[in-house]
Amino acid sequence: MEHTASGPALPAGRWPNPDFSRVPYEVFTSPEVYQREMQRIFRGPVWNYLCMEIEIPAEGDYVSTWIGETSVVASRAAEGSIHAFENSCAHRGAKIVSKVRGKARRHTCPYHLWTYSLEGELIGVPLEKGVQGKGGMPPCFDKRAHGLNRLRVATFGGLVFASFSEAAPPIEDWLGPHSRSQIERLLVQRKPKVLGYLRQRIPGNWKLYNENVRDPYHGSLLHLFQVSFRLQQPTMRGGIKLDADLKNTWNHSIVTEQNDRDQQAVASAYEGTGKFQPDLTMADPALTRVPLDLGDGYKTTILSMFPTLIVAQVDNTYAIRHLRPKGPDLVELHITYLGFESDTEQQTRDKLLTVNFIGPSGYISLEDGEALRLVQEGIRHRRPGDFEILEMGGVGEIRDTDYLSQEISIRGFWSYYCRIMDFPVAPGPAA
Amino acid sequence: MSAAGLRAEVESFLYDYAACLNEERFAEWPDFFDERECVYEILSRENRDLNLPAPIMGCYSHGMVRDRVAMLVKGTLTYRHMYLLHQVSNVRAVREPDGSIRAAAGLVVHQSSEEGVPSLYIVGRYQARLRSVAGGFRIVKMEVILDSFGIDTMLAVPL
Repeated sequence: MEHTASGPALPAGRWPNPDFSRVPYEVFTSPEVYQREMQRIFRGPVWNYLCMEIEIPAEGDYVSTWIGETSVVASRAAEGSIHAFENSCAHRGAKIVSKVRGKARRHTCPYHLWTYSLEGELIGVPLEKGVQGKGGMPPCFDKRAHGLNRLRVATFGGLVFASFSEAAPPIEDWLGPHSRSQIERLLVQRKPKVLGYLRQRIPGNWKLYNENVRDPYHGSLLHLFQVSFRLQQPTMRGGIKLDADLKNTWNHSIVTEQNDRDQQAVASAYEGTGKFQPDLTMADPALTRVPLDLGDGYKTTILSMFPTLIVAQVDNTYAIRHLRPKGPDLVELHITYLGFESDTEQQTRDKLLTVNFIGPSGYISLEDGEALRLVQEGIRHRRPGDFEILEMGGVGEIRDTDYLSQEISIRGFWSYYCRIMDFPVAPGPAA
Repeated sequence: MSAAGLRAEVESFLYDYAACLNEERFAEWPDFFDERECVYEILSRENRDLNLPAPIMGCYSHGMVRDRVAMLVKGTLTYRHMYLLHQVSNVRAVREPDGSIRAAAGLVVHQSSEEGVPSLYIVGRYQARLRSVAGGFRIVKMEVILDSFGIDTMLAVPL
């Protein structure tokens, strides 16, 4: 897949500084930047998340999903093979698969009934030979040359990825060591099962969500619920680890014994905000008393993988979050909420309770939707050249940390983003 | 009581329920639920059709129902405030052999911004099990099943 020309760069000319502690607001609002992302990122040398293998367990099973704004079908064919193709007929371009998920022996375009195999090959053209010797396709028409637009497919840890580009590296290299080990921990050591899907349409740019999940700084400030019930606090131990490209972040927080000194530190961190309420109690605290399944002490594990995949453990919830951009100022957040085959009835009941932490009405997550909306509203008419500030946790080198109040991993995201978008960066000391 | 009479009573109950939410009297919302046992779930039609159990929101005791609105009542939740109009329609009600009432209704919620700009927020339906009490009903189980499960921004206020 070739890229569009090096083409119009940033409206402001170039990225304002080399350690990415400044982000020009126009990357969230400009239609030109958005169109460039659709080409250079989503059709570029990246691996895009499609679905989980367990969602298409048997031959003929399929799901339709999105890569950027392109509708793509993930299809299970013979002998367990998985294929991905653009959901657009080779003939006249009609959308072929209308359902979100289902089972089929072949895929047929409703318009002229051109028919495709589960691998995406064209296998049938009605009236190909004409009627009574008249009409039909010309003799030179070769069905083998007119399959659906097929994508490369790779899997890791039960996750299915696709790429439009031959230049995408091996999936293991793309994910990096921390994502690989945490996917093993979260999704492989126990066999997952889908408990449900949650969808949220957030009126903000898709990259604002990427910033949000790489930003443990906000977690304990925006989310009163998290703080009051000690799911995350400014004093909590944790940190971030980045892959070699700086594009993928693993951030985590660790359970520790909270003591009075911690609570005082929390109270002082919140002084004057009116948000921290040490006296907040729950009429029924069952939700906050669900034990962690895994005895390894991680309270949160957020794997943020470029460009649109997040695998998250928040308390005892496990979920795949997938971002589906719908224009510069709207993104669908699609959540696959997970339990495990080995869960007891009680553990399943607990997960149907803890789902209240996440999703569009999640005690924790609903405020993220609002934060993104507020940013998008706030920046809509900022002056050209205005930028956001990312200095929490330090500027300069982009590196792993053993603390949570940081925005360094967001700078990592932007450094990779600039590379893949081919945006010029202002000179200065290297990041 | 006649079928029409029962329906009128259930209709009146659901209108009161909607008015409580429309008028943002969140502290009173739990009073519509049975204190002894109650379930409140917001479910997506997508999950329901797939037989997947996860709700969008789920409360399984009266305490959990109270907790759902506690931050709204205290004003500590960061959410987009909208003026909401819950419209209840297509009400049906049947009395079961055990004396409880099975009720169903359509739900449309319109939202209007702080600057008075309206849009459609929610399309769905109620499926409820009610218990008769002196002067009205209490909700034993309420399922709100959403056709519009692609939630606009967030779901902070119960439906």
